[in-house]
Amino acid sequence: MHIPDGFLSTPVWAALDALALPATGLAARAAQRGFDESKAPLLGVMGAFIFAAQMINFPVGMGTSGHLVGGALLACTLGPAPASVVMTAIVAIQAFVFQDGGVLALGPNVLNMAIAGVLAGYLPYHLWGGGRFRRAAIFAGGVLSVISSAVLALAELLLSGVRMPRPVLGVSLTLFAVSALLEGAITVAVIAALERIQPGFVRQPARAPSMLLGGLGLCAVMLAAGGLVFASTAPDGIEQLAMRAGIAKPLAAYGNGAGIAGVGLVFVLLLAGGRMARRRSA
Amino acid sequence: MIHRRAAGAKLAVAAVFLVTVATAHRHLLALSAGWLVVLVSGVLVAKLPVGGIVSRTAAVLPFSALFALFSWMEGFPQTALGLMVKSYLSALVVLLLVATTPLPELVRTLESARAPQFLLMVVQFLYRYIFVVVEEAVNMRTAAAMRGGLRFQAAAGALATLFARSYSRAEHIHRAMIARGFQGHFRSMATGTLAAGDVIFAFTAGALPLLVRTLGEVLL
Repeated sequence: MHIPDGFLSTPVWAALDALALPATGLAARAAQRGFDESKAPLLGVMGAFIFAAQMINFPVGMGTSGHLVGGALLACTLGPAPASVVMTAIVAIQAFVFQDGGVLALGPNVLNMAIAGVLAGYLPYHLWGGGRFRRAAIFAGGVLSVISSAVLALAELLLSGVRMPRPVLGVSLTLFAVSALLEGAITVAVIAALERIQPGFVRQPARAPSMLLGGLGLCAVMLAAGGLVFASTAPDGIEQLAMRAGIAKPLAAYGNGAGIAGVGLVFVLLLAGGRMARRRSA
Repeated sequence: MIHRRAAGAKLAVAAVFLVTVATAHRHLLALSAGWLVVLVSGVLVAKLPVGGIVSRTAAVLPFSALFALFSWMEGFPQTALGLMVKSYLSALVVLLLVATTPLPELVRTLESARAPQFLLMVVQFLYRYIFVVVEEAVNMRTAAAMRGGLRFQAAAGALATLFARSYSRAEHIHRAMIARGFQGHFRSMATGTLAAGDVIFAFTAGALPLLVRTLGEVLL
């Protein structure tokens, strides 16, 4: 789901654009480190492959069909950082050349699909891709990648004040779930077929880390996804109190911007904490 | 006339236009009419086909219309109107920019604005090979249709084959480039300096959307 311009409120697109800039820079640098710089042609052509994959329809019965989105597949073959560079390039080309998705909304779209979509798609494979649950991990990756980008996009729209009737929200969440399951199934099938052609195409994940860490990570992703939609549809206690007391105006005025700034602050603090913890354990 | 201006000037004007449209809240309908006049005269000055541009931009409308309908059903007709006109005008701005600026020039400008070079190279390769790989996929689809269509597993096999072919195509391209002296980055002959005309263009064209908005908000 590419968000066009005009849908997001100014605090939302400005904040997410500001967040997307360093994120893409980091991804590009990480991709360059793992890859030879002269491998740019490979990533470009694989991006073209993802475009072309939309031409191949997967019949799912009842006359309907779906197609590959590709975040999880790229992450399992090229690795997470190169995959997110490829997806960023795709989102940018779609915004500029095909008018699919806005230019001011490029940051939000990149974060949803190229950063969150790819990382969520890679997480289960990174955790359990080496063990007994390999196929399940690939499947979960496909599912998570579509769910997380769709839910993020939905949450950004709701945060921006785009109104949706409750039933429509329910229907669209159901549709997301169905297309996410389909993406999981397609990713598993394509990776199995790729391994029959040449096993070297698919990355071998590092030795499986602990189940606990994995469970925590997955819970965090699910909580963030579910919480975002819930938080952006249902006003919380303080807001409700404010509305009842009739002082909703000042709170509402600073609501969006402050909320996003708060999330950003927590993110930076956690990042710094993680860095320090890693340095101490190393 | 717009074609000849430096990509950086056009990019700046487009950015000003987009932000001006995105941050407007009051008198949207009247302001949009003004902006539409500015954009259509831009299309005319650039000697682009007006009908083609206007109808191609309408591709964003179905998506916006759906969400506008939701907002309208919820009792926010103003939001609904905003979604429609803002998404249409923004798409028109971007299309005007892209139709008058070759992609390599745009990429070079972004490069001098210190965007990650690696990402920009990937964008260029992607743009170059989209239609090559898409055509290959369409051929595969046609071939499959002639044999009675693809089942789920067969479609997965087709995608895997397409993946392997794209991968080996990329390796061929890379080897051919190394054989011709490629050292990991593109060189360009352009100096990237702005002429006086570009600066004048950037300021006058960039002022137009702001002027429309100020006039609209003062007069209405």
